[in-house]
Amino acid sequence: MNLSLISLEICVVALGMALLLADLWLPPGRKRLLGYAAAAGLGLLLVANLGGFGVFGSTGTAFGGMFVQDGLAIFFKRFFLLAAILVLLMAIEFSDRISAGIAEYYSLIVFALAGMLFAASANDFALLFVSLELITVTFYVLTSFQRARLVSLEAGVKYLVIGALSTAFTVFGIALVYGISGRLNFGELAGVAGQFGDNKIFLFGLLLVLTGLGFKIVAFPFQIWAPDVYQGAPTPTAAFLAIGSKAAGFVLLLRVLFTAVPDITAQWTNLLIVFSAVTILYGNLCAIPQRNVKRLLGYSSVAHAGYLLLGVAAMSTAGQDRSAGGSAMLFYLSGYLFTVLAAFTVITLVMRHLESEDISGLAGLNQRSPLLAATMTLAMVSLAGIPPLAGFFGKFLLLKALIEQGAANPGCYCLAFTAVAGIVISLYYYFGVIRAIYWSPGPAAAPPIAVSRPIRISIYVCIAGMFYLGLFPGVMVTVTTEAVKALNR
Amino acid sequence: MHVGLEHYLAVSALLFALGLFGVLVRRNLLVIYMSLELMLNAANLALVSFSSYKNNPDGQVLVFFIISVAAAEVAVGLALIVALYRKRKTTHVEDLTTMKL
Repeated sequence: MNLSLISLEICVVALGMALLLADLWLPPGRKRLLGYAAAAGLGLLLVANLGGFGVFGSTGTAFGGMFVQDGLAIFFKRFFLLAAILVLLMAIEFSDRISAGIAEYYSLIVFALAGMLFAASANDFALLFVSLELITVTFYVLTSFQRARLVSLEAGVKYLVIGALSTAFTVFGIALVYGISGRLNFGELAGVAGQFGDNKIFLFGLLLVLTGLGFKIVAFPFQIWAPDVYQGAPTPTAAFLAIGSKAAGFVLLLRVLFTAVPDITAQWTNLLIVFSAVTILYGNLCAIPQRNVKRLLGYSSVAHAGYLLLGVAAMSTAGQDRSAGGSAMLFYLSGYLFTVLAAFTVITLVMRHLESEDISGLAGLNQRSPLLAATMTLAMVSLAGIPPLAGFFGKFLLLKALIEQGAANPGCYCLAFTAVAGIVISLYYYFGVIRAIYWSPGPAAAPPIAVSRPIRISIYVCIAGMFYLGLFPGVMVTVTTEAVKALNR
Repeated sequence: MHVGLEHYLAVSALLFALGLFGVLVRRNLLVIYMSLELMLNAANLALVSFSSYKNNPDGQVLVFFIISVAAAEVAVGLALIVALYRKRKTTHVEDLTTMKL
């Protein structure tokens, strides 16, 4: 047992509890400012982690191989910390729309972050289950936090039922896998999984586990909750769902597929290709008629899960060296972080006094705040995958990794074609948003939008991230390639 | 009659199927939630029986985690359903139609 490896998780959980305690003593007017304390605390942890000071730099396994701290885990932990900081800043801006318990809202974000950090290091089905549930249960509360709004409660109940259903599938799947193989640890399972390649019950159990992960990453056919929940949930929650919860699902998916059962995954390439293609088409086609920006981003999130699954499919075809597909996936996720958080930050600011988040609410934004208009435009351009932004280079890397595998499996060419078709479709609805910003007449005498300094900084960080990853991708590609080495055999 | 592993598994599979059927067919949120708990407990039964017949305690330890997590989930879930009932005066899924396109 090596407690120092989980010092980051311990610090984050302690921070969450400290926030809850501080809530007891602070006067009501000051509670909103607790969010800055939380963001600063996480910022310190991120800096310590980037610098690799003391216990934060060590790698290894703890708790009998259940918890693993390797390159992949460290990469995702930094990713989650950054996402949580930006979401907390957004939550402070959102706090006037939460009637009571804003400090609890902050601390729940921090607890969800703790779940994601554990998920990044999960190397055992027990830890996979517990970290997944820590994320899901906190998100039930975060989704329905605006108790006075019916849509928020409705979104919470829908998330609850579908989330609990996927949990039940995951647990039953774990029971079957454990029953046949007798192993819960991914490393031990990898040693014996090959001999169960034609055991129907074992494969069925694995599929059930993947169902639960498919719910987290919002892949077809487990995406039905996404549009409603994105629309109804408070905007910072929707942003954290779009980036944090999805990335946690992907890191667990990578661990299960490539650490626990690599031999079986190699036979499942066609399955992954089909799922990826259907997810891309479904997300992009359903997004076309949407009029609500958050709902549109919900469908767009489905489509992006499809692009990321494309990287998983490329990894499963590649035999020994999976770094091309894997590093493209991590790169894409990093670009997606800046892009999607920029979009949700703008929505939080612009839609402040509106009842619903209809696209028409963005009309005339160019006159009200050129900075926000430019940010939203850049986010949409990056999501659509137009150079020179992060989204373009991420898609380029993913397609390149996939086409390199085309010789081994011709299905890869079909998937690449589908992905390009999906990108072309997506141009239509992303540019619909941009058109509303610049070419729709806004409401007469709409007041300019005040942007507070912390939010301004977070917007600049997102813009810088989008441009940096798009123009100078070299450094990030090196980092992500290094991170996925943990998945090579 | 000797009760073997397969008997336990048959009961577990039956419970799981019943729960899934309940989720798909019933229209009351509380009954749906009960069915979901049934599915979780079906998985618990499978884990315990596998663990006991294989003399491997890992599965039984996992069951403790599942039970405690399920308790937390029920606490949050029921609170959510009660909050919805106060606002909407219904627990039927057909009435959850605020968001649509």
